[in-house]
Amino acid sequence: MHRIDCPWCGIRDEAEFQYQGDATKVRPAPDASQDAFFDYVYKRDNPKGWHTEWWHHVGGCRQWVKVVRNTLTHEIHATGAPAEKLSLPRKKKRGSK
Amino acid sequence: MADFVPIHPLGDPEAVSKASSNAGVTFDIPPDLSMVQVFARKGQEDNVIRKLGISDSPRTASSQKSFNALPLSPGQWMLVGNEKDSSKFEAAIAKKVAGIGYVSQQSASRVCFRVSGPKVRDFMSRGCRLDLGESVTSKGYCAQTPIAQIGVLLHQIDEAPTYDLYVYSGFARAFWHWLTETAAQFR
Repeated sequence: MHRIDCPWCGIRDEAEFQYQGDATKVRPAPDASQDAFFDYVYKRDNPKGWHTEWWHHVGGCRQWVKVVRNTLTHEIHATGAPAEKLSLPRKKKRGSK
Repeated sequence: MADFVPIHPLGDPEAVSKASSNAGVTFDIPPDLSMVQVFARKGQEDNVIRKLGISDSPRTASSQKSFNALPLSPGQWMLVGNEKDSSKFEAAIAKKVAGIGYVSQQSASRVCFRVSGPKVRDFMSRGCRLDLGESVTSKGYCAQTPIAQIGVLLHQIDEAPTYDLYVYSGFARAFWHWLTETAAQFR
C-alpha cells in the first residue's frame, strides 16, 4: 500500500488515488507530425526504478498529483503539484550504501 | 402543478432519534442547513479568500458569523450556513463574490450527518482511513475522504469531538445504513 503525500490534503492512502500514467510526456505542437502524436499518445517506457507519474486524488481534493516513485521498491521520493518540477534521486555509486 | 415538498433524506424522520438512544455514538441531522459551493475565477483565489474572510488553509474550516467555509480543493469551498431559505443564502454569497467567483447551490444535493458520543473516535476508525486522534486533529479540521466507499466531506466542529459528515443525498440512505450498523457494536 502506498502512502501518498497530496500537496493539499496531506498523507493519504493509495486507495483514495487513481494511477494516471507517465507524467513526463509533453504534448507535441499542434502542427507536429503524426508520428510525434503517436508517440505521445501510445508509446510508454516501462522503467525499472524511478518514474515520474500522475496520480489523481479522486477520493479527496480531486487534484492531479505528480509523484516520483520507484517501480521496483514502491518507495516514493517526492510529490508535488502538476506544475512543479520534481527531480529524481541521485544515483548511488556502485558499492556505496 | 403541486409544489414540491422536501422529503426527509432517510424517509423516516424518527430514524435518527431512535438510533441515538443509549448509544456510545449519537447521530443528528442538523435541520435548515444551506449549502453553496464557491469557485474562485482564475487567479482570483486570494480575492475570494479576502472577500469572504476565510482561511487559506486547505485542511481547516473557517467559521464566520453566517457560515462555515469548508475547503474542497484549491479555489473551491463549501459554504454551510444556518439559513432556512437556501436561495437567500445563495444570493447573499453570490453578491459577495460577484466578479471574482461563482456559486453553485448544493442545499438539496448534500445531507449532513452529525456524529458524536463517547465512543465516536473508535467508531470513526471502523470506516475512515484518516488519523482522527486527539493529538492529530482538532476543532476546524476538514477533509474529504471515502468512508464505506462513499465520498464524505468531514468537518470536526468541536473538541468533544463532534464530526459533521456531508454525503451526496443519493448516498444518504446507504451511508445511514453503514452508520447505524457500525454503531451497533458501540452501545
